[in-house]
Amino acid sequence: MSALAKENPMKQFSKHSVSAQAMVDAFKRCGIDYVTTVPDMVQIALHQLLNSGVSGLNVVHCTTEDQAIEVAGGLYAGGKNVAVIVQNQGLYAGINSLRALGLDSKVPLLFVIGQFGREFSNLGGNPRDSKRRVVFMLEPLLETLGVPYWRLEGPDDMGNVEAAWKSSRERSGPAALIVGHFVGW
Amino acid sequence: MKTLDACKILDAHRGDAIVVCTMGAMNALDKLPLNPLTMACVPLMGGAASIGLGLALARPERKVFVFDGDASLLMELGGLVTISHARPKNLFHFVFNNSIQFAGLGNLETPGARSADLVAMAKACGYEAAQRIDALDDLESRMKGILAGPGPSFVEVVVEYDAPTLGTENPAVEMTDERFTRMGDEIRRIRHHLGCEAAVTA
Repeated sequence: MSALAKENPMKQFSKHSVSAQAMVDAFKRCGIDYVTTVPDMVQIALHQLLNSGVSGLNVVHCTTEDQAIEVAGGLYAGGKNVAVIVQNQGLYAGINSLRALGLDSKVPLLFVIGQFGREFSNLGGNPRDSKRRVVFMLEPLLETLGVPYWRLEGPDDMGNVEAAWKSSRERSGPAALIVGHFVGW
Repeated sequence: MKTLDACKILDAHRGDAIVVCTMGAMNALDKLPLNPLTMACVPLMGGAASIGLGLALARPERKVFVFDGDASLLMELGGLVTISHARPKNLFHFVFNNSIQFAGLGNLETPGARSADLVAMAKACGYEAAQRIDALDDLESRMKGILAGPGPSFVEVVVEYDAPTLGTENPAVEMTDERFTRMGDEIRRIRHHLGCEAAVTA
């Protein structure tokens, strides 16, 4: 065990986290004004910031991921810029709505997907090498769907928020940002 | 009450409202003059109410009508909670209830057709108003009051259904390509009509 881990075992993982405020700031740089969501465990810090009312972003709380995608589609039809925040299981649950609105209808949608269930021993490694299906199937599934994705594995990846957003707009379709570890407070 | 006749009444009262339609009401609206602020939720059974919610939040200055189906509502029943939680005062949710799925094609009974109380569900979830209407003249006479009240408002419109057409003499029906592209085309038409820009930022 490293000296850092001996001091506080959780600190060794902090380099894999991005802060909730940094994510909100990146959303604002993209021009995002709405978030639709079914909460994700690894993004609880982000949810808390969004729910506090000080982020400046509007939040629509949905009871299923289908709805989160559909509400986002309606907001887009009405002229708003939206991020859909879900976890990996939620994306799996919402695939038909993603198909209908994102792929068939060519609605630009930014998905922010938390890697729920990722084992800590996989941090810093390839999520495709995770032992857990809920983690390792995400990227291949997105490739099957034709949805480009960017990883958010630490502060150095913050530019990927804008990259994914820009891709969704330029391609008129969905793009995904994969949040690899707990968002920081 | 025929779905087309009910749609004619609602269409006459819409003013500059945006309409999101699906299922049988979509087929009926297709028989009326085109309105650029109408979009179909297809093929995405269950999604109309949530798309309508997004539009209502994005455009609070304008009424949004959702023309839903009973089976479509049941597919995303939790959407009643999502809508009531968001409290869109400009959302009017009409559910055309014929208690049948694939009406006019195969006429399969909807689960809960003889037991589920959709109006009670909407009330319990927190809609500002919820009512059931089963006669055309009643629908006409109540529309002004419905639209004068705050949303989210829920109206179950009880409608008839046509006889099934699929069978040994007509064993299959092919979906057109247009059925898979119209939702996106109509979303973009609404954005254009509302003056929304498709700007890329960042």
